Order: sequence, then structure tokens, then C-alpha cells
Amino acid sequence: MTGSVRWQDAALGVIGTGSLFVLWELASRLGFVSPNVFPAPTTAIIGTLRTVPLLDILGHVGTSLLRIIWGFALGVAAGTVIGIASGWYRAFGVLTKPVIELLRPIPPLAWIPMAIIWFGLGEPSKVFVIFLGAFFPIVTSAYKGMTGIDPALLRAAQTMGLRGPKLLFRVAVPAAMPDLATGIRIGWGLSFGVLVAAELIAADQGMGFMIMNARQLGQVGVIVFGIILIGVMNLITDYFIGAVIRRRIGRWHAV
Amino acid sequence: MMADTAASTGSSNPATAKIDVRGVSKRYATDDANTPPVLDDIDLTIGDNEFVTLVGRSGCGKTTLLNIIGGLVEPSHGDISVNGRLVTGPGEGKGMVFQQHALFPWLTALHNVGFGCRNNGVSAAESDRISRQLIELVGLQGFEDKYPTELSGGMQQRVAIARALATDPEILLMDEPFGALDELTRLEMQDELLRVWSAHKKTVVFVTHSISEALVLSDRIILLAARPGRIRREFIVPFPRPRQRTDPQMIALYDEIWRNLA
Repeated sequence: MTGSVRWQDAALGVIGTGSLFVLWELASRLGFVSPNVFPAPTTAIIGTLRTVPLLDILGHVGTSLLRIIWGFALGVAAGTVIGIASGWYRAFGVLTKPVIELLRPIPPLAWIPMAIIWFGLGEPSKVFVIFLGAFFPIVTSAYKGMTGIDPALLRAAQTMGLRGPKLLFRVAVPAAMPDLATGIRIGWGLSFGVLVAAELIAADQGMGFMIMNARQLGQVGVIVFGIILIGVMNLITDYFIGAVIRRRIGRWHAV
Repeated sequence: MMADTAASTGSSNPATAKIDVRGVSKRYATDDANTPPVLDDIDLTIGDNEFVTLVGRSGCGKTTLLNIIGGLVEPSHGDISVNGRLVTGPGEGKGMVFQQHALFPWLTALHNVGFGCRNNGVSAAESDRISRQLIELVGLQGFEDKYPTELSGGMQQRVAIARALATDPEILLMDEPFGALDELTRLEMQDELLRVWSAHKKTVVFVTHSISEALVLSDRIILLAARPGRIRREFIVPFPRPRQRTDPQMIALYDEIWRNLA
């Protein structure tokens, strides 16, 4: 893609998002929707910044990010190792694939009660639910990447004398990287997706808590602010992950 | 003249035999008992530095035979030896070039060429030195840092040839390496290969569909019949290189091979 097309696309994206906010703002200001039920974005943001101290907001963001990073990191580690192993070692794949297929469709939220029983009400139960959100897309895409490797690449490496772990780490894993990267990105998104629910578990900090707490206090503006904040946080972090992936594999693989 | 060019058995002196194929048969596990084998009792001796081409219709088992020689596929019966030692697996002095270039997409041209060296304990500096030489040999100076997706089909196949040469194998096994290229690039690559072959003498086993490609390149052409895959006939190509495709003798030999193929 040429530079100017990239800029054009970026500009169109900003225009699209901006239009949505303008429409929303107008709908609320012109009285199409009641500001008590659905306040305008500016009202929500300015109102929240006036009522909630900035340090508190940053505290919520930091707590949530820490949880997501923990859950996500564990999901990446477990998903990558298990996905690669099950795609490479046939017997291990036959053993693990049905288990993964059985557990995968279960929404991570359904595990919340179990998480509380296993890990109590502290941080580990929240991290566990976030972990589940990240783990399944990563393990599935790592497996897909490993089983979809062009056999010609493996043959070519074998003719150069590679076998065993060298063949795995020097050829198979790099060849599976594009699929793995896609899984990692989806996993990050899903980690965010289950965040609010995970923070329903007896939390007193975090963006999810901020939203739920605002509901009890009847602060609709804070709820709207929290929702926008989660979206923006996801957007920013996803952009960074995307940039890292592009840096690593963008030169040889269209991301 | 024509009678002389058609030899019935291997002409090379057994004392200098590089590759010895003895009674090789191949039947795939998925074939039922009534299907004739892909390869049926193949005997073939290939001499040191000889350029041998395997020609035949699709499904005649020429690629299978090449993969068996390369140690990538196990024969159902029979065995292969190189320099008198039984082949038990891939590698060990047998470089391969495939129809699809099979370059590692995450490595630059230079690192693709150096891949075999780097993974066999050669230092980075030394492997880069070897790779640069080979890249120059195949005429790709200036493209060292390009990734495979940034190269044309002909360039990719040049990198693949350089890569196969990098570990300095005694044997080069080529499976329709120019099959996916356009006609013009294909002719260029044939000249290129002969140039490389004369610079680095190797024993080459080359699989192709194209009789004219076989005639331009090889010392000896092995014509395989399909199902059961057997050697139908062998042809010596006695003409000095570079060969003219329009030479009447070449055309006469082409016709004879064609008649045997049909």
C-alpha cells in the first residue's frame, strides 16, 4: 500500500468515527434521546472529569490493564506452547484437540463461578477469566498455523539436514507466525471483552468496576465515559500490538 | 547415428557410480492391491558429475523416484546408495530444488541461501560470504536483502538453486524447477543452470515434463513409463554444449523420444 492511500484510509476512518460522535452529540443535544438515559459524549466526558478525580480514573485504568496483561500473558504462553505442540506432535494433537474443541465454545463468563470457588475473590480469579478469553483464540490459531505449514518448506529444510527441534524452531514456528500473530491479536481483543465481567467478581478497582459502580450511583455519564474509555484503551493497545507484529513479520507477510 | 544415441542400459562406469538405485519399487499405503505400483523394480546407476534427466508423463513416478533418491520418501522395496553408502534420510550431501521455490518467506534472499550453512554450524560471517558468492553466481547481486515475496518467479528459483548449492552437496536433485516459469524465463534459467553446473561440477538428477528441456540440459535422458512405473528407455545425448534447439540432430532425437513417449 502506498503512503498516500494509507493516509487516505486513515482519514476516512477518522471521518467515519467522528461522524458517529457528531450524530450522537446532536441526537442528545436536540432532544431526540433523553440526556438522562443516553447523555451526549461531551456531557459524559466533561461531567465525569468534573466528578471523578483524574487519579481515580488512572487507577481504574492501571488496575484493569494489569489484570489484562497478566491474563493475556498467561494466555499467550499457554496457548502458544500447547497450540504449537499439538500441531507438531501428532499424538499430542490427537490427545488435546478434542479437549480444546470441547472447552472452546464455552463463554469465559460461564467460568466465573468456578473461578471464584477455585481462586477466591482476589486477583487470580479475574486474571483466570481474562486468561480464558486470550487462550482459546491463540491455541486454535497456533494449531492452525502449525498444521497449515507448506510441506515444501519442511522438505527443503530436511534436505539441508534439519530435523527434530531445529526443524521445529527454525522452520515450523517461524512459518506459523502469521497465524499465531492473528490469534494473539484476537486474544488481546477478547481479553478486553471479558474484562468488565471479570471485574464483576468483588472488585473495588478497574474500568469494569467503575462502570458498575456508576450504575448503582445513577451516574449515566460515568458509565458512558467508562465504555468509551474501554474502547479507546483497546484501540490504542491493539494499535501497538499491530505495530509490533508489522515490525516483526510485515516485511514478508501482508498483515 | 540414431542407433548410437539410444543406449539400453546405463553407460557410466560402475567404478565412478555416484548414485546406485537397486530394485526400487514404491506402492503407497493408500493404493489398493490391484493398482500397479508407482515405481516397479527400478535399476539405475548415475555416474559422478553426470547430468541425468527423468522424463515421462504425469504420474509416471519420476518425482517419487527423485524423492526416494533424496531420502524424503522411503521405497517399498529396494535401496539407494550414494558413494556406496545406503541412503537413510534427507540431507547428507543431497541438495534439492523443488517446483515451487520453497524459500523461507521470513528470510531475505541472503539468509535463505545461508540457511543450510547457518544450521550446520558454519559461522555467520562465513555463511554470508558463501551466500554472497552464490547470489552473484546466479546473477542476483543487489537483491541480497529482498524477501522472497519481493522477487519474481525466476529470481525466486535462482535463490532456491543458490540455496541448494550453499552446503556444497555432491548431488543436486531438481524436481521440475522451471515448471512454473514462463517460457522465456525458463530458457534463461536453463542456460543459467548449465553455467552454474559447469562452474560447480555436481551430479544432477533433473525431473521435467519437457523433452526439449531434457535435450538441452542432460547427458542422459531416462524415459519412465507410468503405472507400473518402469524405465522404458534411456537416451544418451552426445552433443556438446551449448546446444542449439534447432540443430537437426537434436530435432531427430526429440522425435525419437517423442515416439517412445507416445
